[in-house]
Amino acid sequence: MKNLRGLCTLLFGVAVLLFFGGAYPHHLHYQEEYQLFLFDSTYVWDIVRLPGGIADLLGRFCTQFFLYAWVGALIIAILLSVIQLLTLRLFNGQCSMVNGQWSYGLSFVPSFLLWLFLLDEHALLGGVWAVLLTLLAIWGYIQLQKGWMRGIVILVTIPILYWVVGPDWNGSHYHRYPTVIQTLLYAAWLSAIILPLLVRACHKWFSTSSSSKFSTVYASLISFVLVAVCMGWLVWKNANFKAEKVMQYDFMACHQQWNRILETVNKEKPNNQIGVTVQNLALAMHGQLVNQLFNYNQNGIAGLLPDVQSDATSPMPTAEAFYQLGMIYVAQRTVFEAQEAILDFQKSGRCYKRLAQTNLIIGSYDVARKYLMALQKTLFYREWANETLPLLDNEEAIAKHPEYGRLRQCAYDKNFFFSDHVTPEMLESLYFSNTDNRLALEYLMAYYVLTGDRENYSKLLHQISTKQ
Amino acid sequence: MKRTHFSLVTFLFSLLLLAACTEAVSDAKQETARPDIYPDYLGVTIPVNIAPLNFSMATDKALLIDAVITDKHGNNLHSQGEESVDFDLDDWHALLAQNPGDSLSVTVSAKYEDGWHTYQPFSIYVSPDSIDYGICYRLIAPGYEVWSKMGIYERDLSSFDERPLIENTQFEGCVNCHSFNRGNPADMSLHIRGPHGATLLRHDNSPLDAYNTKTDQTLGFCVYPYWHPSGRYIAYSTNATSQLFHSASRNRVEVFDTASDLQVYDVEKNELLLSPLLKQDSIYETYPVFSADGRSLYYCAARALPEGSLQLDSIRYNLCRVDFDPETGTFGSQIDVIIDAEAQHKSLSFPRPSYDGRFLCYTLSDYGQFSIWHHEADLWLLDLATGESRLMKEANSEDTESFHNWSTNSRWLVLSSRRDDGLYTRPYFCHVDDKGAVTKAFMLPQRHPRQFYRDRFMSFNAPDFIIGPTRFDGQKASRLINDDARKPFGVRAVSF
Repeated sequence: MKNLRGLCTLLFGVAVLLFFGGAYPHHLHYQEEYQLFLFDSTYVWDIVRLPGGIADLLGRFCTQFFLYAWVGALIIAILLSVIQLLTLRLFNGQCSMVNGQWSYGLSFVPSFLLWLFLLDEHALLGGVWAVLLTLLAIWGYIQLQKGWMRGIVILVTIPILYWVVGPDWNGSHYHRYPTVIQTLLYAAWLSAIILPLLVRACHKWFSTSSSSKFSTVYASLISFVLVAVCMGWLVWKNANFKAEKVMQYDFMACHQQWNRILETVNKEKPNNQIGVTVQNLALAMHGQLVNQLFNYNQNGIAGLLPDVQSDATSPMPTAEAFYQLGMIYVAQRTVFEAQEAILDFQKSGRCYKRLAQTNLIIGSYDVARKYLMALQKTLFYREWANETLPLLDNEEAIAKHPEYGRLRQCAYDKNFFFSDHVTPEMLESLYFSNTDNRLALEYLMAYYVLTGDRENYSKLLHQISTKQ
Repeated sequence: MKRTHFSLVTFLFSLLLLAACTEAVSDAKQETARPDIYPDYLGVTIPVNIAPLNFSMATDKALLIDAVITDKHGNNLHSQGEESVDFDLDDWHALLAQNPGDSLSVTVSAKYEDGWHTYQPFSIYVSPDSIDYGICYRLIAPGYEVWSKMGIYERDLSSFDERPLIENTQFEGCVNCHSFNRGNPADMSLHIRGPHGATLLRHDNSPLDAYNTKTDQTLGFCVYPYWHPSGRYIAYSTNATSQLFHSASRNRVEVFDTASDLQVYDVEKNELLLSPLLKQDSIYETYPVFSADGRSLYYCAARALPEGSLQLDSIRYNLCRVDFDPETGTFGSQIDVIIDAEAQHKSLSFPRPSYDGRFLCYTLSDYGQFSIWHHEADLWLLDLATGESRLMKEANSEDTESFHNWSTNSRWLVLSSRRDDGLYTRPYFCHVDDKGAVTKAFMLPQRHPRQFYRDRFMSFNAPDFIIGPTRFDGQKASRLINDDARKPFGVRAVSF
């Protein structure tokens, strides 16, 4: 019987692992990109001093591993499995093992609800930790013998629990929209508390008529399959695979996987703005943007260099295009603003890295150093920061650097004012600042093609041929 | 007997621990130069009641730093640390209290891999002029249009204590334009932007009220407040502000007005006093401030650009003045140009008269009015008795100096500067004596300054002195903000 239960928990864990690692990896990358976990006492204190801070800290600590989706998926699988096991313990505390066979499947309900909760890209792992820690406290309490000791423990535990998991299930620790009531989180927590009580109240209906080993196994298995199928269907139905695809494009652009982007768009042509922006950037990086432009979906000039919106996500692929083009100040501003727009006021490892790079390229070494020194306090960006720090103030090394040296060469040589909207004049000025900047030429020509501006297109071709 | 043994062991162990905390500076190589420390406190003049000037070696290579401060009475103060020296707060204040008007000598030694190095001592002059209780500032990332966590904070200048007045985690929006009447928080104005926009006013320690300062006769919300010395009036400007960006300039962004006017708010009558002289379409008027006697209104004015023009580098502001009668709330009929910055191909911003009426400090940049982003911006001092201006070169740096305010005794200036890293604004202080002699500016002290300023990704925005704790109830204020009930401003058109 114990083996069967272990197997069911394992099956559940593997399902969670496969789902997040195989079908939902970019949601995990997204989570990692919009936080910056620092091994720094001030950072830790700022989190843990607030009610709910411990759960938040644990959530953030785990989220940094989401940089590697399979590791992130494994963490989630373990957390949800532990919650299921704790719920089962609470069940067993309320009614005997034999009586609870039909209710066994219900022990998976809180974990499935948390799985549903985590489908939302704004749901934070701190919420899962809060449920887990609460269940752990309740389980610990149940383990104690009845008597005055229990009273003392409860008096001590309640304020500690308040500090560890917070006053309620709303708040910035659990979701990036702190004002939205987190129904799923509430439901997961309540189900873990109420279901055992319900099972106890209704144990006559839940208990098997026979106490034979076969019937108890049968009952447990059926209840597990029923809950798994129903809740699993709910998970699949509510998973946002459209968002996953958009996040995939963003991830590939962030990691400059130009070949993979083209492979992906060749399989399924993107029909969203981020996808088209990334697709066009990848084409331009391969020098195929103008030639291949209409072999792919286009979204007018909004698919080339879309106007930057004041959110944390949509500007990032555009910022990547600005960066690759050599529009370093524009890229820097776009990334800075995107980071400022992160809903729960967190910082981003991805943004810090790009801000360090852009400041390095424009020669603001003290500012670049500030970002790099912060990244030195991280687990996964430390090595890169250590490698980059020696470049500061080293003009020769920067000039020789394959990326930073090239981008310095591509930068504007004349200063002018511009607004949020990218104009062809900006691209023209960029190209004629350095005619080796083929990317700028690709974008400029594509701009004229997409806007149907034949006159300027011909003029540009004439200018190029004259120059040659 | 057993107990005595225990006590003795504990005592010896404690001694051992204490001895282990500091390492004697021995066999030190004598350097001929003075130390390169962060922040740069070499030769600065400080108020007698300032917090300890803790510092680090500028280089990361120092393993230990040791500092001994001595005075002419033979007192000394010692501190040693790995990252920075951290002087005992009480001992520091006791030493300063014994030395007003005198210099302290600071001997710094640093331990590197090759052993100790002792540098030539440097001086710190203790001015007998005290500084106000604290400063109040906004902490915000130096961004463009979007903001993350930010708020208004107060800092006790005699210690390292910082306290938030209000943060935008308490409501949706952002907060700016904090202003006090000569540092007295009994009269206070605070502006909230966003969906819960409001101006919070506290007059003569009355409860806070939330106002809608936008009227149908003004351009928009009232900003850039400045209190009249009587506490009855607040000068405001209303600005239609835009931003454009630089393609290849360290200045990055240009914040400019496409229209702006001035008005004075009568706190007692709840009326905005409007004058046609101060709301001319052909002129951008901004940054109004009252003179020390409250009988003049200084402000910046520039010729407006033709509609649609983006020649932002041709907008240049002069310093102007108009009479103001506080008894009747009326304005004079003539505008005087006090400093014709345009004639120098420069632009003037942030005029701030000293409260004793002797000087007016202002910022001069190449163009525009938002000198915060102008790396060439410097502070100038106008002697109001002679009309002479001079560059405050002792306090300025190679980088941006912009916003500033006077202490209530008019002997100290708090100034915003980006000299630290070129982006993040930090507060600095300099002394200005009654003859206009200016001293080298020193950075706001922190317990561990290098670590503190490295880790803080925020600018100190619009610092202003306060004479005591603001006793601002942030919870109550946030309830007021979230309530959305606003009192409207009345309007009175005033002819001259």
